[in-house]
Amino acid sequence: MAPGRVVGIVGETGSGKSTLGQSIPRLLPEPPARIRQGRIVFQGSDLLSIPKWKMPIVRGTSIGMIFQEPINSLNPAFRVSDQLIEAVRIRKLRESGEAELFRPTEGFDYSKDRPVDPKEAIGRTFLPSAPEGRRPRAGRTSEELRKDALEYLRLVRINDPETILDLYPHELSGGMRQRIMIAMALSEKPTLLIADEPTSALDITIQAQVLTLMKELMDEVNTSILFISHDLGVIAEMADDVGVMYAGGIVEFGPVAEVFERPAHPYTKGLLESVPNRYKADGPLPSLPGSVPNLARLPSGCPFHPRCVFARPPCEPDPGPALEPVKGAPAGSNRRAACYYSEEVVRLK
Amino acid sequence: MGRSKVDLAIFVGKRVVWFVPVLFGLITITFFAGHASVRNPCAVWVGPHASPDTVRNCIEYFGVNRPVWDQYTGYLSNLFQGNWGKDPQGGQPVLPIILTLFPATIELLLAALFLMVVLGIPLGVIAANAGGRWPDHLVRLFYLGGWATPAYLGAVVLAIGIGPVLGLPNSGDFSSTPDPGWQLTHMSILDSILRLDTGALVDAIAHLILPAASLALLNLGIATRMTRSSMLEVLPLDYVKTARMKGLSDFWVLYKHALRNSLISTVTVLGTTAGSLLSWIVVVEEIFLWPGIGKYAFDSILSYNFAGTLGVVVFFAIVVVVANLVSDVLYGVLDPRVEWR
Repeated sequence: MAPGRVVGIVGETGSGKSTLGQSIPRLLPEPPARIRQGRIVFQGSDLLSIPKWKMPIVRGTSIGMIFQEPINSLNPAFRVSDQLIEAVRIRKLRESGEAELFRPTEGFDYSKDRPVDPKEAIGRTFLPSAPEGRRPRAGRTSEELRKDALEYLRLVRINDPETILDLYPHELSGGMRQRIMIAMALSEKPTLLIADEPTSALDITIQAQVLTLMKELMDEVNTSILFISHDLGVIAEMADDVGVMYAGGIVEFGPVAEVFERPAHPYTKGLLESVPNRYKADGPLPSLPGSVPNLARLPSGCPFHPRCVFARPPCEPDPGPALEPVKGAPAGSNRRAACYYSEEVVRLK
Repeated sequence: MGRSKVDLAIFVGKRVVWFVPVLFGLITITFFAGHASVRNPCAVWVGPHASPDTVRNCIEYFGVNRPVWDQYTGYLSNLFQGNWGKDPQGGQPVLPIILTLFPATIELLLAALFLMVVLGIPLGVIAANAGGRWPDHLVRLFYLGGWATPAYLGAVVLAIGIGPVLGLPNSGDFSSTPDPGWQLTHMSILDSILRLDTGALVDAIAHLILPAASLALLNLGIATRMTRSSMLEVLPLDYVKTARMKGLSDFWVLYKHALRNSLISTVTVLGTTAGSLLSWIVVVEEIFLWPGIGKYAFDSILSYNFAGTLGVVVFFAIVVVVANLVSDVLYGVLDPRVEWR
């Protein structure tokens, strides 16, 4: 992901979107979860080589997250002010050097895949003591923290933030709670924000409001966003790039307009064709035959081949196709697909 | 119905009013059960070597040959006048005795509850966080061991096995008897603090440790198990993940965000446990010679001291009701969604 860009992740239920999102800040309980191979390179450091107890340093100020169910994502026992100020305080402690802050590896070149030892990245930020002349607890009196919290509530367009701040989550509507979640994540100014289906649990009018808000905020705050959704329309609206997930893997990746205009993977094509279109009211709604395979018993080779209309004998044996640049795509468009016949598929109208 | 102070006062008031019929029923049942099971208590009160005349005088004096119903109404009318009856053997009024002994029992009960909270709850958090790995099994072994040990065995092991090793006194007889003029509360710790007497405070705590620990260690399993299971329910929830994603350390995630919500069920259980601890207290006070109401209850029952037994029942009932009331109020304090009704 490039800085400041919004990457959408789209896929059916059970395709591994949320697992992907939660594995980046290593939020999945280990065990049972286990990352068996690969790397999670964040700002030049491989997060997998950080001991798990040190992961909180990366969370919050570096990687923030918004969850799907606003009903469950705020703690019912604490007031909005307690929860929001907690986030603001963490950022202030880290910025002032009183708590450890994760810093990107200096001069990291995003174009090259060059992970650096994270011990180096974290260790360098251990500030020995408070910088000279700094007042202790500067900017962290309860009034100042409250003022900051109010500012973030205003940022997410909450009217009457003074009142809202003193309420408990159960006294708020779903849309309001999700705005507070967004305010909480943004108040730590994360480099990467993972939004895991932030609007799926909201009803349609609130969904539109929250999406509009997020779109406006994207211009105001400079944060890279990983936007997870099962809704192709939402992804098309929000994302710059899109990754399409199927059976736990990304099968296609590229700029959202190009991928949706000319998909290079048969699964993406099928997914796009099954979107209800109100201008074509004739005939049954097209759908992909079959269902998502059980992730514990994936088919051999390309996991999509049993449902694929393009499937040919080479698709069956292991290992399946890897995510590779699509031949025949416009030059410099950075399109990738995990299909042997992507060149053929992308040329179809 | 709401969460204002007035709502809370109404809630508490209602519970206190409801306590009156409960207490009335309790006294009635205890009175009749006691009198039905003993035909002639005078035989015990005057002793085995008393002459038939003495026995007859005793029957006459206490009126134990009167119909039970008459004795019952007589007892009730005395009770309303503040006369709780007398110890038939010593002749002292029961109420002042209970009032001096009761604080010692409350002190022991609170100390045991304190240990159950400060040891039992963190153990539950540790076990839940370990989730099936060895610390979880170790904690389970510890609390199930305590849970399965009867009080008379566990307390004796602590009194003669562990106490001497740690150099702790194993009886409630205080080495430095407090100045009787200064026994304001009849709680040795509170009194020594009020007197600003550090020597007496150390002594009081030393005497309290073993009886409180034997009550707590054998019963903290319920706090640990409740905390563990509700923590296991809370930990996978999104708001715990939200707390983690703020960058909070595991300690704050567990002991602030997750535990606050798990405590709701633990507190409820601890409220009822406080009541059931009273039955253990009778045994523990007897073993450690703790000068409390439990030991008095034991002695009263053995000597057919009906007035004493009934007095103890009333005070135990007060403890049970207050403990449940406190746990209900704490429930509302911990969960902002609860309304007083």
